[in-house]
Amino acid sequence: MATKRGGSASSTTYSPWSNQKTRRQKRLDLKDPDWVRADGRLFHQCRPAFFRTGAVSAAAGSAYAELGDTKVIVSVFGPRESKKAMLYSDVGRLNCNVSYTTFATSVREQGSGHKEYSSTLHKALEGAIILESFPKTTVDVFALVLESSGSDLPLVVSCASLALADAGIMMYDLVTAVCLSCHGPNLILDPLVEEESHQDGSLMVTYMPSRVEVTQLTITGEWSVTRIHEAMNLCISACSRLGEVMRSCLKEAAATTDDTNE
Amino acid sequence: MVMEEMNHESAMVTPGEILGKSSELRPGRGAYAVAGGNDIYASLTGRRSILTPPPDSPDQRPIVEVTGHKAHGVVPEPGSTVIARVKRVMAKMASADIMCVGEKSVREKFSGIIRQQDVRATEIDKVDMHSSFRAGDIVRASVLSLGDARAYYLSTAKNELGVVSAESAAGATMIPISWTEMQCPSSGQVEQRKVAKV
Repeated sequence: MATKRGGSASSTTYSPWSNQKTRRQKRLDLKDPDWVRADGRLFHQCRPAFFRTGAVSAAAGSAYAELGDTKVIVSVFGPRESKKAMLYSDVGRLNCNVSYTTFATSVREQGSGHKEYSSTLHKALEGAIILESFPKTTVDVFALVLESSGSDLPLVVSCASLALADAGIMMYDLVTAVCLSCHGPNLILDPLVEEESHQDGSLMVTYMPSRVEVTQLTITGEWSVTRIHEAMNLCISACSRLGEVMRSCLKEAAATTDDTNE
Repeated sequence: MVMEEMNHESAMVTPGEILGKSSELRPGRGAYAVAGGNDIYASLTGRRSILTPPPDSPDQRPIVEVTGHKAHGVVPEPGSTVIARVKRVMAKMASADIMCVGEKSVREKFSGIIRQQDVRATEIDKVDMHSSFRAGDIVRASVLSLGDARAYYLSTAKNELGVVSAESAAGATMIPISWTEMQCPSSGQVEQRKVAKV
């Protein structure tokens, strides 16, 4: 039973939206400094974050995180033996994989996109893990995005560092990540999918809050140096706040397991 | 459930939290110090505890440790005692799967090999591998080194190392009768092994 919708020749699968015309009107208003974000947040306000560790019992460590509607689950296996084909190494190895479920985005997709997220996650985490503590072995990090609603990769990075801490892998510090999107004169933190799709540029910072070190910085688009400074300061202060939330989640989880063991 | 009074000494810490100054404390397991820095940071999630140093060490600063609330995945380290099951016995070596490190079992097995020269301490060139181990034996060994890319190097060259439990050809668990022999209780057959003194 085919439902007829005028003007949507692009998708042949059923899509639950029907208000595509109103979205196109909103796009024209974005450069307006009086523009209000779709969910009513301020420009520099992030969505509330929720973290929980110990979601996957089969894994050595795992974590589940939500940032508004974006939902991510990460499992960590290891340290376990490297594959036979790998050469000997004095330090441990990190292997990251980020995949999307087919139902993560509004339009069903095959899940083979975003291959570069795996290498970005690897670069963000490898600076924070003490690889010398597990020589010759590999730690596998598998991230699954259950629902994607903007700011996916920063949430994946934060959730992965919680899962690593849950697995007992030695780290220099937790890694928190926040991304920021640039629309004309406005810098908005933690963009939604619609805001990301027509941004002028983006900046993602992965940051270790207690060590005050940036492990990775990804910038797309055209930026002047002063804007980069401004954007980085915004992101770093948001990362520090996120770091506090993550630490309290870890301590709560640790205190609960301690109570049940006593 | 009664919550025990947690004093400051055993507070929960997370990776990256500052545990103290490196002028007053030394980093132990689960903590690290930055070269040239002033602070000692935690690298694990767990309880912070302070240990007194042994009286003969030159550095008398107390050691700060973080004991993990969860069993950190154990990895074989040189010098640790492991329990392994022998997979294959060849002319010059035996390959084994490491199942426990110390007192903790591993989630996924590691590969180890016991070379002919590491089976026992005396007459190491006259060792017959098939008279020391058989496939399926449980052995206690110590990790010599990280070995190569494929396997850890194990050694059973001590009295308390060697075959701990073995099955006879008849299928019964054998009883050790000497340093080099084990007997099957059902058939009475004696088989040769490098036996561990339990």
